[in-house]
Amino acid sequence: MNKKVLGLVPLAIFILLSVFLYQGLFGNPREIQTGRLGHNMPAFSLPDLMDEKKTWTDKELQGEVYLLNVWGTWCPTCLAELGYLTELKEKGVKIVGLYYDQAYDPDFGDKFDVVALREEVNNMLSRAGNPYAFNILDLNRSLALDLGVSGAPETFLVNKEGKILVHHTGDMNTRVWRAKFAPAIQELTP
Amino acid sequence: MIPEIGYFALVLAMALSLLLCIFPLWGAYSGNLRLMRAAPSLALGQCLFVIFSFCILIYITLTDDFTVSYVAQNSSSTLPWYYKVTSTWGGHEGAILLWLVMQSTWTALVAMMSKSLPWVLRARVLGVLGFLGVGFMLYTLWMSSPFERLLPYYPVEGRDLNPLLQDPGMIIHPPLLYMGYVGLSVSFAFAIAALMTGKLDNTWAKWSRPWTMAAWAFLSLGITIGSWWAYSELGWGGWWFWDPVENASLMPWLVATALLHSLSVTEKRGVFKSWTVLLAITAFSLCLLGTFIVRSGIIVSVHAFATDPDRGLYILAFLALVVGGSLTLYALRVSEVKSEGRYQFASREVSLWLNNIFLVVAMLIVLLGTLLPMIHKELGLGAISIGVPFFNKMFSILIVPFALLLGIGPMLRWKQNKLNTLFPKWTINVVLAIIITAAWLFGGYDHVAPLTFMGTALAVWIFLATATDLLQKVASQATIPEGIKRLGLSYWAMVLGHIGLGFVIAGVTLTSAYSVERSVSMKPGEIATLNEYEYRFEGVNVISGPNYSGHAGEVTVLKEGKKVVLLHAEKRRYNVGMQFMTEAAIDDGFFRDLYLALGEELNNGAWALRIYHKPYVRWMWLGGLLISFAGFIVLADKRYRRSSRTRSSEAVA
Repeated sequence: MNKKVLGLVPLAIFILLSVFLYQGLFGNPREIQTGRLGHNMPAFSLPDLMDEKKTWTDKELQGEVYLLNVWGTWCPTCLAELGYLTELKEKGVKIVGLYYDQAYDPDFGDKFDVVALREEVNNMLSRAGNPYAFNILDLNRSLALDLGVSGAPETFLVNKEGKILVHHTGDMNTRVWRAKFAPAIQELTP
Repeated sequence: MIPEIGYFALVLAMALSLLLCIFPLWGAYSGNLRLMRAAPSLALGQCLFVIFSFCILIYITLTDDFTVSYVAQNSSSTLPWYYKVTSTWGGHEGAILLWLVMQSTWTALVAMMSKSLPWVLRARVLGVLGFLGVGFMLYTLWMSSPFERLLPYYPVEGRDLNPLLQDPGMIIHPPLLYMGYVGLSVSFAFAIAALMTGKLDNTWAKWSRPWTMAAWAFLSLGITIGSWWAYSELGWGGWWFWDPVENASLMPWLVATALLHSLSVTEKRGVFKSWTVLLAITAFSLCLLGTFIVRSGIIVSVHAFATDPDRGLYILAFLALVVGGSLTLYALRVSEVKSEGRYQFASREVSLWLNNIFLVVAMLIVLLGTLLPMIHKELGLGAISIGVPFFNKMFSILIVPFALLLGIGPMLRWKQNKLNTLFPKWTINVVLAIIITAAWLFGGYDHVAPLTFMGTALAVWIFLATATDLLQKVASQATIPEGIKRLGLSYWAMVLGHIGLGFVIAGVTLTSAYSVERSVSMKPGEIATLNEYEYRFEGVNVISGPNYSGHAGEVTVLKEGKKVVLLHAEKRRYNVGMQFMTEAAIDDGFFRDLYLALGEELNNGAWALRIYHKPYVRWMWLGGLLISFAGFIVLADKRYRRSSRTRSSEAVA
C-alpha cells in the first residue's frame, strides 16, 4: 500500500472511535434497553423473604405507586444505597425489595439456607437502615429475568396500574432521584 | 481567602502555560531565538505556581476548612493527618490537581535537563507540553476546581475520605500511577516535536528514551501497587478484575512497553522510525482515553468516580484536538520517513518487531473488551457484557508466543544470525523447562491442568533463557569478574525486567490454579481446616480507631499442631459515612498467603469467616516490582543518559 494512505489509517481509526465515544457520552450506558419499560409488571407469584408462608403476586402490588429495588447482601453498592433509600422511605416512598441471590445456583445443586440468609439480611438492614416495606424472594431469578435485570442494584418505578415508568441500573442517590425518578413521580400526581 | 489564593495561583499558572505554548512554538517556527529561550523559565514558573496551589489545598484540608466543597466532600476532622493529605487526591477535583502537579513537574524537569538539545527541538517539546498544560488547567479552572466554596451554608463536619482509600497503598498508588501516566506526555511531546521538525532520525529516539523509561517505570510500579492494594484492602482476595479503570492504566503500559523496545531499535539501528513515533502518540492518547473513560461515566465501572457528561465532553474535545491533531501531523509527515538499516529474518530487529506486535495486539484486546459493550449498544445490537473470561482467555493465548520469543530474542544479534549455534541451546532450555515444571507441579499437587503446566513452563523457560544468555555473555570475557563488569546496567535491567515477567507469569498461573477458599461459620474455639493449615477461631474483640469502630476476629493458624501465626481480621464501621469495611488479615509468605476476612455476626454467637489459601500470589507483585526497578536501574546507567547529552549543538534554524 502507498505510504501516504497507510499514514492515514491511525487517524481514520481514531475518528471512527471518537464518533462512538461521542455517542456513548450522550447515550446513557446505565440505561440498558429493557423491553419492559412502559409495559406492565410481569405476572409472578413469589414468597416473602422473611415468611415463606406469605406469597406476593403482581395483582397484590397494584393500586399504589412504588419502587421495586433489586438487591442482595453480597452487593456492596446495595449496602451503600440503603441509607438513601431509607431516607426516601421516611419521606413516604413505598419501596419493595426484590431479593436477588447471587451465590445460589440451582443448576449446580447448591444448597440454599434461608435461615442463614434471613439472619444476614436482618443484620445488614438493622445496621445500615431498612427501607423496605417487604422483600420478595426471587430465588430462581424468574421475575428478575422477566424484568431484564442484569445485576444489582437496579430500581424500577411502578405506577398504580402496575406499569413500569423508570428502570435505573446502579445505585440510587440524590442526583439519580432528582434526574430520573422525581420528574416521573411529579407527572403521576396532578 | 486562602482557597481563593490557591485558585488564583492556578490562574497564573495557566497564563504561564499559555505563554509556554505560544512563545517557543512561534519562536521555533519563525526562527526567533529570544522567544524560544523564554520556554525554560516559563515552564519553571508554571510548575512553581501549580505546586503552590497544591500546597494550599493540602493546607486547607489539614485545617478542616469545610467551607470548601472539596474538603467537605472528601475529608473530616477526625481523619488522621496523613489520610487528610491523601484525601487531597482521593476525589476527582483533587486528583486532577495532582495530575497538574505531575504534568508541570515533568515539564520543568524537561526544561532543566534538555540543555544539550538544539533550541528548535527543545522549544517545540516544551511548547507541546505547554499546550497540554493549558488543556488540563483550563479543565481544572473551568469545571473541576477543588477550591470551590460552599458559602453561605457549609457543613460543620466533612463527609470523610472513602474508607476504601484509607490505606497506605492508596497514599502512594495514585501519585505513582499519575507520574507514569503524565510522564508519557513527555514521550508524546518529543514525538510531536520530531514530527514538526521533520527530522525523525535516531537522535530523537535517544532523547526520548530516558524519559519514556522513567514514565514507564513509574507506571509499572503504580499498577503493581494498585493490584496489591486491591488484594489487601478489598477483602475478596482478588488482584485483577479487568475493570475499565484498571484497563485504562494497563493499555498505556502495554504500548509504553512496546515503545521502549522499539525506541531501542530506532536508536541503535535507525529502523522502525515511523512506527516508534506512532507508538509514542498512541501511548499518551491511551492515557487521555483512559482519563475520559474513568471521568465521563461512559462505561460502568466498579470504581465510583464523580462522573459528569459535561466533563466528559470537555475531555473528549481535548482528546479529539490532541490525538486528532497529532495523527494528522503523523499522516502528513510519515511518507517522508525513510528507513536506513537492513536486516534479515533471524535478527534482533525482527524479534523486537514481533514483541511490538504482541504487545499492541494485547492492548487492542483490552481496548476492544473495554469499549465493545458500548459500541455494541450504540450500533443498536443490544447490551452485551464482556467479562473476565474473555480477557483471561485472550491473554493466556497471547502470552505463549510472547514468552517463547522473550527467551529467544535477547540471544539474537542485530541484522542477522546463524541460527544453528542457537538452536541446541533453545532445545536444551525447552527440555529443561518441561522437566523442572513437571518436577515442581507433580511433586506438589495432585491435579495439574494443561494450562497450568504451560504457564509455569513458560515462566521457567524465561528464567532459563535469561540465565543462559547471562552466563554466555559473562563467559565470553577472559575472567568472570571482567565479564560481569563489561555488562552495562542496561543489560542487568533487561535481565531483571525479563525475570520479573517470569515471576508475574508463574504467580498468575499458580495462584489462579491452586488458590482455595472456604466460607465457614465458627464459634470461639472451633477449628476449620484448609489445605495443611488449621484455623482456630479465638473470638472477637471490639476495636475503635480514630474515625471508626468495629470488631476484630482473632484466628490462630496451626500447622501440624504448631502455631504459625495469629491472624487479626477487622470489620470496621466508619463513623461519618456509616460504611463498613473489611480489613483482611494476611500472613504473607514467599510460597503462599493465608488470607482471612471477617464476615457478619450470626445469631448463635458464631461468626462468618472466609479463609483463603493463595499459593505464590506474592510472585506477581515481586515480578511487578522487579520490572519497575529494571526501569529505574536503566535511568541510573550513565551510558544511557549520556547518549542523550552527546549532541550538544546550539543549532538554530
